[in-house]
Amino acid sequence: MTFAVVFFAVAFLAFIGALTLVFHRHPVIAVLGMAAATVSIGVLYVMLHVPFLGLFQMIVYAGAVMVIALYVIMALGPEESGPQVGTVQTVLTYAASLLFLLQLYRVLIKSEIGPMPAVDEAFGSIQAFGGALVSRYAVPFELASLLLLGAMVGAVVLSRRQWQ
Amino acid sequence: MITIGHYLVLASFLFVVGLIGALTRKSAIIVFLAIELMLNSVNLVFLALGRYFGQLDGAVFVFFIMAVSAAEAAIGVAITVAFIRRNKTTAIDAANLMKW
Repeated sequence: MTFAVVFFAVAFLAFIGALTLVFHRHPVIAVLGMAAATVSIGVLYVMLHVPFLGLFQMIVYAGAVMVIALYVIMALGPEESGPQVGTVQTVLTYAASLLFLLQLYRVLIKSEIGPMPAVDEAFGSIQAFGGALVSRYAVPFELASLLLLGAMVGAVVLSRRQWQ
Repeated sequence: MITIGHYLVLASFLFVVGLIGALTRKSAIIVFLAIELMLNSVNLVFLALGRYFGQLDGAVFVFFIMAVSAAEAAIGVAITVAFIRRNKTTAIDAANLMKW
């Protein structure tokens, strides 16, 4: 019961944060809405029995990405702007989104929806996760480190070049 | 009782809100964050289904998606800053060099 109350509160907060990001005119408030959404999604990760990924979520998104976005907005001066592309594009976007949602729910209604099964304590523990990372997913793990290195070098190169 | 369906419906809402933001906003930073929101909702689906089937592979995938999106954030912000310096605006309409 408490679980359901917490779930709906957190889900509501995530949804409101997402709406703030997309529809608020002021960019700083929009980014703060995104921060609220990412923290709520991190709480949902904890409720899904993977608590350390919830912590990663809060450190990486609510910490690093949001701070970088706020830094860019503050450094370059906030420009107020709402959703303001052309009418045709807006109508097409909403139509496509609605169709996408309807298609998803058609699949969802036809499938069996059960309550979450109980899992043992070892599920989602950092031992099990680390074991999977160094055995079955060792190669993707190394590739991810190469990707991060490449991204770091690329960011430095991009920021050092002179733009007229 | 919270079922897998609650998580999937919430993730679909977040995904569609992010999609609308990515397609209708003009500010490059907001578009970038809307795409991050879509990534987050997909992560939520991975974790919910992994928890449902009792397998840890969903969590491992979320871990890799987080690494990729951190790389994307670093590059994306560098590109955005370069773009804003060059065009003096955050509006992505200014990126019309390859417009036919």
